Amino acid sequence: MRSRIPWWLLAPALALVGLLFVLPVAALLAGAFKIDGHLGLAHFTAFFDEPLHTQVYWRTLRIAGLATVVSALVCYPAAMAMVKVPARWRGLLTGLVILPLMVSPIARTYSWIVLLGRNGLANSLLVGSGVFDEPATLLFTEGAVFVGLLQLMMPLMLLSLVSALENLPPDVLAAAQTLGANRWQSFARVVLPLTQEGLIVGGTLVFTGCVTAFITPALLGGPKVLMLETLLYQKVNVASDMAAASVIAVLLLLTTIVVNQVLKRVSR
Amino acid sequence: MNPISRPALAMLILALTFLLGPFIVIFVAGFSADETLAFPPTSYGLRWFGYLFGVEAFQRSFVTSLVVGAGSTLAALAFGVPVAYALSRYDFRGKDALRGLLTLPLVVPGIIVGLALLDLMVLVYALPVTLGLLIGHTTLLIPYTVRVVGSSLSNLRSDIDDAAITLGATRLQAFFKVVLPNIRGGVAAAAVLAFITSFNQVPVSLFLTGPGVSTLPIEMMAYMETSYDPSIAALSTLLVLFTIAVVAATEKLLGISKYV
Repeated sequence: MRSRIPWWLLAPALALVGLLFVLPVAALLAGAFKIDGHLGLAHFTAFFDEPLHTQVYWRTLRIAGLATVVSALVCYPAAMAMVKVPARWRGLLTGLVILPLMVSPIARTYSWIVLLGRNGLANSLLVGSGVFDEPATLLFTEGAVFVGLLQLMMPLMLLSLVSALENLPPDVLAAAQTLGANRWQSFARVVLPLTQEGLIVGGTLVFTGCVTAFITPALLGGPKVLMLETLLYQKVNVASDMAAASVIAVLLLLTTIVVNQVLKRVSR
Repeated sequence: MNPISRPALAMLILALTFLLGPFIVIFVAGFSADETLAFPPTSYGLRWFGYLFGVEAFQRSFVTSLVVGAGSTLAALAFGVPVAYALSRYDFRGKDALRGLLTLPLVVPGIIVGLALLDLMVLVYALPVTLGLLIGHTTLLIPYTVRVVGSSLSNLRSDIDDAAITLGATRLQAFFKVVLPNIRGGVAAAAVLAFITSFNQVPVSLFLTGPGVSTLPIEMMAYMETSYDPSIAALSTLLVLFTIAVVAATEKLLGISKYV
C-alpha cells in the first residue's frame, strides 16, 4: 500500500458526486425545514394533518413490513434447498434467480396487470369456475401492490440467505443432530443464529426496496393505493406542492436510514 | 450432508414459479393478436411486435435510453475506475468516508435525486433535461463501477504495476499497459451491469424527462396509462429476451454472477 495519493485520481468523482449529487439533494431536503426563510417543522405538521398522508405513510410501512416477513418465510426453506442442489444445477439455478433482477421492472410488473386485470388469468379462472359471477377488481388494490413488490424483491432475500447458508460450516448441523437436537431445534438454535446476518441484509434490502418503490405502486396501485413515492410524484406533477414533496423526500430517506441502523443493531 | 427435505424443495419450486411464472405470462400475452389485453388471449400472432416498430415515441425513447445508457456507463467508468484504483493501491486518511460518500447514490432513493436535479439544473440554471438525465444516471452508476472494478483490482497483485514503474514506465503507462489489460473482465462486467441499470432505471429519470425527451421505461409507463392493447406485453417480451441474451453472453464470457 502506497501512502501519497495523487489527488487527480479522486478529484473528478468527488467533484461530480459532491456538486451534482450531494448539493442538490441537500438543497431539496433543506426545503422541508424552511418556512419563509426561517427554520421550522411547520411543513411536517401541515403534512401529517392531512389524514390521507398519514394513511399513505402507514400503508407504505405495512406493505414493506409484510413483504419482508413473507419473503423471509418463503426464502429460508427455499435457500436451504438451494444450497443442497447438486453442483451442476447450481449455476443454472443461481442464474434463474439473478435474471429477474436484470430484467426491466416494468416488464416484470406488467405481467401482474396481465394476470390480475379485468380480463386477466385470475378473473378468467374465478369466473370460469363459478366462484364469482362477474370479474372482481383485483388490480389497483393493496394486495396487487404487495404481490408485485414481493415478486420484485424476493430474489434479494433468496440470494442473501443462500450466501449466508453457504458459509455455514457443514459439520454444525450434523453436530447438533448427534447431540440430540431435532430438525426444528437445530434450525432455531444453530442455523438461524449463524445465518442471521444474511437474514438482516436480505430484510434491509427488501424493506427499503419496498419503501422506495415507484413502478409497482404506480402501475398496480394507481391513485387509489398510493405509497410514499407515488404520493411524492403526485405532489410535484399534479399539486405542484414542493414543500410537501420535500417532506416526503425527508421521510423516505429517514425511514430507510432508521431501518438500516435498527437492523444493523439487531444483528450485533 | 442431509438430503434436501421435501417441504424445503417444495418451497424452492414455489419460489421459482412465483419468480419466473410472470415471464411466461408476458411471453404468451406478447404473442396475442387480440385488440385488447386479455389472458389467455383468444388469438395469436406477431401483430403487436409489428405495431411496435410503427410507434415513433417508442423508437425515439429507445434511442434516448441507448444514448443515456452508453453515455452514463462510459462516464461512470471514467470517474469510477480511478477511484477503484486509488482505493485498492493507496492507503490514505478518509478512505472509509470516501467509500461512504460514493455509495450514497445507492442509499438515496432515485426519485429524490431526479427531483433535486430538476430543481437545480433545469429550473435554476435552465440546462437541458438530457444533461440532467446523464448526470443523474452517472452518479447512480459510479458505485457499481467502483465496486465491480475494485473487486477485480483486489484480485490482481499490486506489485505488477510497481514492477512496471521500476522498469521505467510512468504511473499512467503502468496503468494502461499493465493493470488495465489484466482487469478488462471486471471493467466489461461493470459496463454491462451499469448499462442494464441505466437502461431499466425509472425513478431517477421520472422528473428529468419532458416533452420530446423520454426514456423507454418512462414512455412505456405513459403509454400504459392510456392504452390497454397488448403492445406493452410484446415490448416487454423483447426486453426480457434482450436481457437474457446479454446476461447469458456476459456470464459465458466473464462470469458476471461473481460480481453481482
